[in-house]
Amino acid sequence: MQRRQFLKTGLVAAGGAALGTGAAEALPIADAGPAPTATLALTPDGDLVVASAPRGKTIPTSEAVRRGVPGRRWVMVIDLAACDGCGKCSQACTKSHFIPADREYLRVFKMQDSSETSPYWFPRPCFHCDNPPCTRVCPVGATFKRQDGIVLIDNERCIGCRFCMAACPYSVRVFNWGRPSNAPEAEARGYSPEWGYPRRVGTAEKCDFCADMAKDGHLPHCVAKCPMEAMWFGDENEDAVTSSKGTTMRLSKLLRDRAGFRFMEELGTKPRVYYLPPDKRHSAAPGEPGAVHAETTQHEGGPR
Amino acid sequence: MTAMPLQVEPDLLATLEPLGRPGRRWIALLLAVCAAALIAWVYQLRFGLEVTAMRNYVSWGVYMTNFVFFIGISHAGTLISAILRVTDAGWRRPITRMAEAITVFALLVGASMVMIDMGRPDRLFNVIIHGRMQSPILWDLVSVTTYLTGSFLYLYVAMIPDMPILAKAARARGRSPRLVRLYEILSLGYRESPEHRRRLGRALGAMAVIIIPVAISVHTVVSWVFGMTLRPGWHSTIFGPYFVIGAIFSGTAAIITAMALFRRGYHLEAYLLPDHFRKLAKLLLALSLLYGYFTLSEYLTTWYGGMETDRRLLELLAGQTGFGASFWLWALFGLGVPIALLLFPGRRSLTSIVTASVLINIGMWWKRYLIVVPTLETPFISPGAADITPSYFPSLVEITITAGAFAAFLLLFTLFSRIFPILSIWETEEDALEAHATAAPTAPVPESRILPASLAVIVAIGLGALLPLASARAQTSKPAVTVGLKRTMEDKQEMLVATVMADGKPVTGATVLFSVQRSFGTLMLGEDQTLDDGTAAVAFPAGMPSGVKGDPMFRAVVRAPDAVAGTEVTMTFPGAMAVRPWTAEAPAALWSSRPPLAIVATIVTLLLIVWSTYGFVVAQLVELSHLTRKG
Repeated sequence: MQRRQFLKTGLVAAGGAALGTGAAEALPIADAGPAPTATLALTPDGDLVVASAPRGKTIPTSEAVRRGVPGRRWVMVIDLAACDGCGKCSQACTKSHFIPADREYLRVFKMQDSSETSPYWFPRPCFHCDNPPCTRVCPVGATFKRQDGIVLIDNERCIGCRFCMAACPYSVRVFNWGRPSNAPEAEARGYSPEWGYPRRVGTAEKCDFCADMAKDGHLPHCVAKCPMEAMWFGDENEDAVTSSKGTTMRLSKLLRDRAGFRFMEELGTKPRVYYLPPDKRHSAAPGEPGAVHAETTQHEGGPR
Repeated sequence: MTAMPLQVEPDLLATLEPLGRPGRRWIALLLAVCAAALIAWVYQLRFGLEVTAMRNYVSWGVYMTNFVFFIGISHAGTLISAILRVTDAGWRRPITRMAEAITVFALLVGASMVMIDMGRPDRLFNVIIHGRMQSPILWDLVSVTTYLTGSFLYLYVAMIPDMPILAKAARARGRSPRLVRLYEILSLGYRESPEHRRRLGRALGAMAVIIIPVAISVHTVVSWVFGMTLRPGWHSTIFGPYFVIGAIFSGTAAIITAMALFRRGYHLEAYLLPDHFRKLAKLLLALSLLYGYFTLSEYLTTWYGGMETDRRLLELLAGQTGFGASFWLWALFGLGVPIALLLFPGRRSLTSIVTASVLINIGMWWKRYLIVVPTLETPFISPGAADITPSYFPSLVEITITAGAFAAFLLLFTLFSRIFPILSIWETEEDALEAHATAAPTAPVPESRILPASLAVIVAIGLGALLPLASARAQTSKPAVTVGLKRTMEDKQEMLVATVMADGKPVTGATVLFSVQRSFGTLMLGEDQTLDDGTAAVAFPAGMPSGVKGDPMFRAVVRAPDAVAGTEVTMTFPGAMAVRPWTAEAPAALWSSRPPLAIVATIVTLLLIVWSTYGFVVAQLVELSHLTRKG
């Protein structure tokens, strides 16, 4: 629960706008190490302080929620070569979002493109598209896209028409068909579109990129719990993504070296989730001299 | 046209006589089904849509099917009445009233299906408060409301000349004074005079013209609820016309079915002649061939193209398993058999025409179901890849509510026919007397009655405070050892230089690791050995995007030798690439909160044209009532 609490800098309550840099985390340099406990935060005067005081529940204003974190463009990279389909990402997501048993925000599919090609695991969160078909069709603006790229749902405005579910080509969205029984913890925290609970009957929901976590400089639950370093999360405006082990890579280099792609680019939805193909590239990409494959990541488990 | 009996008035008024036992039983049955549906709906409101069979993959079901079906048959009124009135086809006269009534009641039932399908009907007003003009649902709301208003107006205007007759007859027969009063109010004081006729003719002519494009737009935007998505089987360019043709097709079949029922129930054999049925049968034949043609165009091209998801959809829709059998049964009994029954003029008996119509009605409901459900079972990412098999069969609640929708439609129709003659007396008399109306419909003159469409205007979002400047703070674990970090130019290249000192003297050969702080971790820039002046350097990452200010926090850590290892310094330097932040205002994209101007302009223009025509019609009626008061 520690992770979900807010920094007591007063900035979050002020609308979340000022906390621009997302509070740099004091990660140990280089390779794997224990997860950090102390957190660096920026005060309004620009001083770095160690924030470890207990943090209360603060619900951001709806204006701040609809705007998002200024200057940020959250992005996710999923390494299909590293994913072994263990499903820890989905379990972590389900646990932290109190998701009922009939649905998953992040679903791991076992894909096989043709009978001759190798199968691979395909974790599918919400793609938080830059041209989101779901958001286009919403009649009431209950689902909206923010400056930081995240597509969220306001369950207190949603009318339950389910047009967004029909419009999403990736079957990401799920629905509260019945009256939800919310966990006491979920009730205690209070509702915000940034975390989507306590749930409301008759409204749509989906993966929220852990908007509340990213704002505070924490990786989304799925990324943080991936034992294979198959999931990476970061800010496109910083050209960096970080894995569960704290490894940080340049996004552009990773996508270039590993031939990153977006799922079904032809649909024109411009997802904010990139995939790295389920193989190791040893040949040069078009327009590049020689082999470029660097020691990017260590792949232990290949596709199964 | 075959000669009609001249005692039109008494014959048609006879349909309003109190019902016999079968009639009362019929109404009781319909009421019972409606009551059951109401209970089912209350149950659904209590427990949520969980009581339906809809789930996350198949998220629309029979409610959506009913919606499309009823909006479809609402086109009966438009086609028969408006098109035939505009083209002045005389044989329309005994049919118009029934057709116009179908439109109104089908629209009422169809629109209520949407509300029943909503997860949160209590938030209906959000559509008005927060409505987004980019959403096809808003287009639906606007066009269905416009169509419903127009249909009511159209039905009513064509009923005005009957009202004085009804008032007189009701008084003569000693019916309730309240009923007499109702007829009198609705008559607007209409009487047979050239001036009254002229006003009425203008109103009717304007309505008949404007209601045709409105009806076409309604079913087009209904199809766009599907067509505007990226789903296989829905994202089709011909969906607009395909749905419009399907609507007129099922609407015409509905009117023939209704004619057959009323002909029998009210003994109107002398007025609803076999000839009327045959004329409509020709139309129905043409429409069934057209619908077959559209169906072929839609599915043959998809099948021939053979794209993967399309292939999966067609496999489910028309293959050996899934919906295959029912699809081909529809093609046979919903299209093939009706065409065969209607094709040869000599074999077009009343029985075969009515049989064809009933088959078409059942078939078109099923066809709508086949448009809604199989596509939802065939998303791009096959659910089979997660061992999920989406399936759907309507629950008891959904079946009950669907039965209630049909019962409500029939009940509204029956009750209407108890109060107002289901055949237009004045038009049928015209027909019988072969007297053509003298007043030709004139072109509508738009009045300056402007009903501005209320548009959702979006709140401007101010950009928040600028990012606080990160200041540097050196951390030293071993007091004797210090690390300095600076940015300098060396050989025309910007460098990040760290200086390692121990007890005030430069350290040679120490390994320094350079990194830059990112939101969720530390990105390595490289490492270097210190020279004899204690400096180590890496290139300054000037081209690295670093937020809106381009001033990342750098870190230098000494890794080796052990005597100095662990010492580190963090420092913020400007000069890295600054990214342009998104402006506070979202662009006027389809997905943004602000609608693109072209969409708003189009909708407002269309609404102005239609509603000003309605205004013109109302103005004629007001004039009409003033005429009487003056006279």
